[in-house]
Amino acid sequence: MTMTTMKNALLGFAAVSLLGCAGGDNPGREYAPNMYHSVAYEPLSQITDEMAGEWVNALDNGRGEYFNSNKYNEFRMNMRTPPANTVKRNKFGWLPYRSKNVPKDSVDIVIGALKSPLDSSAVYAVEGKALYEVYCKHCHGANGTGDGKVADKYAGVANLKGDSYLAMSEGHIFHVITYGAGLMGAHGSQVTPEERWKIARYVKTLQKQK
Amino acid sequence: MSDGRGPKPKNMFEIMTSECRFVHLRIKGGILNHMMKRFISCFSPCVLPALVSLLLSVSLQAQDIPTDPAVISAGEALFNGNCKTCHRVKTKLIGPALAGVETRVPSVKWVFDWVRNPAKVIASGDEYANKIYGEYNKSQMTAFSSYKDEQILSILAYVKAEAAKVEAAPVAAAGGAAGGGSAVPTAYLDTILVGMIIILVLLVIILALIVNALRRFLNQRDLSEEDREVVNSPITFASVSRSPGFIFLVIFIVGTITFKSVIDGLYSIGVQRNYQPKQPIAFSHKIHAGQYEIECKYCHTGAMKGKQANIPSPNMCMNCHSQIKEGTNTGAGEIAKIYAAVGFDPMTSTYTGVTKPIEWVRIHNLPDLAYFNHSQHVNVAGVVCQTCHGPIEEMDVVKQYSVLTMGWCIDCHRKTDVNTKGNAYYDKLVELHSTAGKKAMKVEDIGGLECAKCHY
Repeated sequence: MTMTTMKNALLGFAAVSLLGCAGGDNPGREYAPNMYHSVAYEPLSQITDEMAGEWVNALDNGRGEYFNSNKYNEFRMNMRTPPANTVKRNKFGWLPYRSKNVPKDSVDIVIGALKSPLDSSAVYAVEGKALYEVYCKHCHGANGTGDGKVADKYAGVANLKGDSYLAMSEGHIFHVITYGAGLMGAHGSQVTPEERWKIARYVKTLQKQK
Repeated sequence: MSDGRGPKPKNMFEIMTSECRFVHLRIKGGILNHMMKRFISCFSPCVLPALVSLLLSVSLQAQDIPTDPAVISAGEALFNGNCKTCHRVKTKLIGPALAGVETRVPSVKWVFDWVRNPAKVIASGDEYANKIYGEYNKSQMTAFSSYKDEQILSILAYVKAEAAKVEAAPVAAAGGAAGGGSAVPTAYLDTILVGMIIILVLLVIILALIVNALRRFLNQRDLSEEDREVVNSPITFASVSRSPGFIFLVIFIVGTITFKSVIDGLYSIGVQRNYQPKQPIAFSHKIHAGQYEIECKYCHTGAMKGKQANIPSPNMCMNCHSQIKEGTNTGAGEIAKIYAAVGFDPMTSTYTGVTKPIEWVRIHNLPDLAYFNHSQHVNVAGVVCQTCHGPIEEMDVVKQYSVLTMGWCIDCHRKTDVNTKGNAYYDKLVELHSTAGKKAMKVEDIGGLECAKCHY
């Protein structure tokens, strides 16, 4: 009698362990799995197996409940790239800055004509500081002297307080953030135009600090 | 101006075959004009010092580079401030390594001209200048027109002093670091453990002795046949395993463990905490967010702006990895996977145009029935990423840190004060709340526990 009790107990123990907590590659058991798996296209998920989760499908249509992939898109992705020749609009109605392929001898004219649309409010430098700390600090350093942690590994980070950078206009900084310069990559995809202007304003403020 | 304001010079938007890559190229034209004007306006008051420095520079030889420590340290400051972006003393960067420059160049005077106006030196048809220019892909050095001879000399002095330094042996630092302060408590614990085991063994021996003594004592007494049998009955496995005490103990232990595991198992259903899947690229947050202190939001740009924090697109990887081609943990192997995804040839640093997506494995997966928005928490509430995601900056492989259950959400909404500072949206609510009592306004006070906030 004792032996059977122990056996049953052990079996129960094993069964529960198999239910298992998540860890490693095992995501664990889901309660009501068809509530975890969206019917709508999920932007950051992709399950291309059409039969995945067939066992929870209540519709009896021979398809998997978990399937989440758009077969009409490239690579069956759920996310789409914006259609060609369209531009993103923002609340100010600004059109994208696209002076990328400017001939070398005209760049400074373009940059010279580029004026910040922001007024002289001090708020922008404060907001720019927060953005600078997110997007710039790890390379250019908190003081802009090119001594961020990444600069240890990534050679050639500009010292924004260097003599040749002090005279740069906000428009020039805006242009460089958008398209990169030298070894710096283009950050136009990460930083919105408004944010770029704020960062440019902060960099000009930073350059005045000793 | 391209936003529809101001004049629009049409010819400037002509498509060029090659991108202009260097800032100093862009400012070249302007600098030249500027220099000429400056030179003319400067000439009359500066004529004497200029002549003196001209004489000085012509007669200067490589040996005349100063060795005065004060000059060297002045040069170091200038070098770090202005040259270090493109030059190092001993390694080639964007520009050449500067060690031994004074022996390579035609003359020290040449360095002065070059630093102040490289474009002019190249245009003059100078052989050495054009050779360097060609060697470095026709990327021209930034002009430092305001530098005086002494300043440039001090930089040369610093470079020379630095080049002469023998690599300091890092051996001294390596020793001694082994064996830390943590050894003491471990030894302590071990001693306590051993002591306890000894005490237990002693107790068992004492008990056995007592049993023996009792048995002997009872055997000397005049006992009935039945009692004698009980006293002398041997302790066997069968006799122990049949005793009610033992059976109770076993059932109790097994029952407790089973009960605990069942409860734990049931609670773990729908909780993906510690889920740590293998990702297609062994990206380490420990290196990027920890060692190099790259802000989370630099890559996860969505956290500030929308519902999803977003998996960064590989073009953000390429902001650094177009240059950094070898990783700390895995060498070139993992970075090559980014190159394969974006279609980048690391040998020639060009894009091939053949791309394929990286299929990252999603870790944090809220059920479809719950709504969560990152920007509300990150941007409005100012919650730091680590509050929910744990010490990501210490994780080589990311795992789900929090349980992400409803109880967990509610708990935080009960405890957390609303971040009302500088947010006019909350002004009226704070006013209203302050009439009710003196307690800080928690998230639950403004509807943070309403079902329809997250379930709709």
